[in-house]
Amino acid sequence: MKKSNLKTKLLASITCLSFGFTGLANAGAHSEDVYGPFPVTLKGYSGDCTNTVSYSGQIARHVQHDSLKYLSTKGDYDEMNAYYSGSDKNKQIWAPASKEGFPIKQILLNDISSGKNLSGKTYKGTITAWPNNMTGPEVIDFWMSKAESNPKDVSVGLNYQQLISKFIMGAVFYNQAVDNYLDEKMEADTKPNDKPYKDGACYTGKEHSWDEAFGYWGAAAHSLLLSAEQNYNVAKKKDLASADFNSDGVVDLKSEYVFAHAYYASSFDKGGKTSYLEDITRAFLNGRKLITSANGEKLTDAKRSELMGYVSIISDNWEKVIAESVFKYAGSTYKSLVALEDVTNADLPKEFDKYMKYWGELKGFSMALQVGKDNIGETGTKLNRMVGFGPMLLDETQIVGIDVNGNYVMDKIYSMNDAKLHMLKIQKLMIDQFGIEARANDMLSDMADLASKIGTSESAEND
Amino acid sequence: MEIFFDIFQNLVDQFTNPKKRVFILYLFISILIAAGWLILHKKKSLKESIKFIFNPKVFFSKSATSDYKVFFINQVIMLLISPHLLTQITIATALYFFFFEISFLDMGLFATTPKYVIISLFTLTHFIVDDFSKYIVHRWMHRWPFLWALHKVHHSATNLTPMTVFRTHPLEGLVFTLRSAFAQGLTISTFVYFFAGGVDLYTVLGANLFVFLFNVFGSNLRHSHIGIRYWRWLEYILISPAQHHLHHSVAKEHYNKNYGAALAIWDWVFGSLHHSEDTETLTLGLGTNDDQKKHSLKELYLIPFVESFKFLKRNFKSIFLFKKIKKNKSEIYYEKFPQ
Repeated sequence: MKKSNLKTKLLASITCLSFGFTGLANAGAHSEDVYGPFPVTLKGYSGDCTNTVSYSGQIARHVQHDSLKYLSTKGDYDEMNAYYSGSDKNKQIWAPASKEGFPIKQILLNDISSGKNLSGKTYKGTITAWPNNMTGPEVIDFWMSKAESNPKDVSVGLNYQQLISKFIMGAVFYNQAVDNYLDEKMEADTKPNDKPYKDGACYTGKEHSWDEAFGYWGAAAHSLLLSAEQNYNVAKKKDLASADFNSDGVVDLKSEYVFAHAYYASSFDKGGKTSYLEDITRAFLNGRKLITSANGEKLTDAKRSELMGYVSIISDNWEKVIAESVFKYAGSTYKSLVALEDVTNADLPKEFDKYMKYWGELKGFSMALQVGKDNIGETGTKLNRMVGFGPMLLDETQIVGIDVNGNYVMDKIYSMNDAKLHMLKIQKLMIDQFGIEARANDMLSDMADLASKIGTSESAEND
Repeated sequence: MEIFFDIFQNLVDQFTNPKKRVFILYLFISILIAAGWLILHKKKSLKESIKFIFNPKVFFSKSATSDYKVFFINQVIMLLISPHLLTQITIATALYFFFFEISFLDMGLFATTPKYVIISLFTLTHFIVDDFSKYIVHRWMHRWPFLWALHKVHHSATNLTPMTVFRTHPLEGLVFTLRSAFAQGLTISTFVYFFAGGVDLYTVLGANLFVFLFNVFGSNLRHSHIGIRYWRWLEYILISPAQHHLHHSVAKEHYNKNYGAALAIWDWVFGSLHHSEDTETLTLGLGTNDDQKKHSLKELYLIPFVESFKFLKRNFKSIFLFKKIKKNKSEIYYEKFPQ
């Protein structure tokens, strides 16, 4: 009896010790899978800096975007523009803001970074998905001015909050990351690794360019330690324990929160079919380790080529995350179109509101898809024609243009049935062109399920 | 390395997947049915029946051996080409979109139909459409000379075993795959469009209920030396193994008969039905003097290409201008044609 007691105690002690060691091991493993800190590698640097990771400017822009999204339903153009174009004043962070059980460390924009704006970083090319050859910033400005008087304009079916938010995520974060920092700034002679990013900086050109792209991606520095579900709940402000990596009781927006496309990636990944968040975040981490390993020397051709391999993983998967979003909201819009056919008068306002929201998300994401590094060509044209400039209204009219006074021109160009068909074709287009796999709200899945139940059509048999 | 694993997996799948004809359970049940037939109808003893069923002269004949080779080679070929073939889902999606374009076709028109009715209808329709398309394509295989050049690979078998089902030229395999994709694509798209979300399939062990029944009731005996015959009335509805054996016979009166796979109805309706006879004395094959030479890989793979191509070349103009095709009696692919 005594012997067995001793045995139990020994086992218990070993178990406790193992857990203790596992805990320590985890703490040690953290540094391996966390984005930063990374040491100074710049030759000749003599300042106090010990950690070269810095992307607070990007986090400030995420916060400006979130706050602008919050304000876009409040009807104040100047206030919206203060967040879009930047303001001299130290503005309040409207979103993400603290809530019970999820305290956020920063309250004012300057607590993160000062002097930042979104307008200067918005894609300046012509936006063919919107009438009148506007540039990216002009489209946002047009929408903000419209949102001032009518944030949800039932007469034309536009939900400006969704349009503004989803397009900015593409035209600023996605575009800046894949078309600037991971493109031009990764060229051999641009922002080289043997020189500071700017005079006086402790980080090299390549180190900081890479960090800025990571900042735009929106993952938390420790996202790789969390499951997709946990990352999703951090973005939803539901899981303080997962967010608070340094256990100081508050969530530091600079490194502990999940923003923008990283959040959308987690929403798809938690379905279990994809691993966009992990793949992209790990490629960022591995790329940063590779740059750090160059130890302040110019990247060799071999290292730069390896780095460009990580760039491809990031760009391709990021594009897929946006294509998944287009797919998802084409499905939601289709469902709304079906629901609107039989809706009662009492439920119509609620149902139409949902329809405007879904179409707005679809439009915003579809525009975002077209401001990446590569011109998606005919796919973009098809997408723009099928999504349209505005959702089809119940009288089968929709926006077909904008007149010189900025008023929408409405007309009937195709039927409600065609509008539904377009949503299905958009889903097929996303599968065919981008090979997406999560496929939320798949409207054609019934057929795929049946086909798989019946089995392969391949047959070299003579019955 | 991975490809070898895939080939091995495909081969094993043929015998372990209940959606496949030679699933081990179906083969076993076929043996029981054959034994039952021989004992009860042919009055053989159990020992005699077993000896007859497992006759090594059949299973190790030149013909059967070439079946096994073709089975193996085709698995490899199909594995390589199948990713590039049109699938049922591509066709179903295209048709589904096409239905949308037709304004008078209301999507979900029958969506309120009870679910069990929808599933029963779909299960039955899938089986019937699939079977009918098999009949039509099989008929073409005999009627069109350039297709017959391919299909005669199957008919060159001088002994029938369950593995003869795989004795198929790869090009013919392509035609069959397209047929299957169209038949399934048509059924799936039509049902999903008109019945909306409630479409499903009644299955047993994962296979369509009717396909399962067809296989359980001895589909493997169609290609065998056990000439089971049905009652005359039943042979108007279902093709008996003996009826299919007649289809393989070299006798002129059996030419162009019994094209059906599971249902005999199509043969009955389109005038190609032939009731069964005692098949023990039937001679099987192409009916040429050198039938035993038709089992080489050259004859099974290469010659059909050459003959099919020759025919198309010679009749290119006639085919595309819908003119009468010139007949050349010296060519082998006319052997089974109505002259």
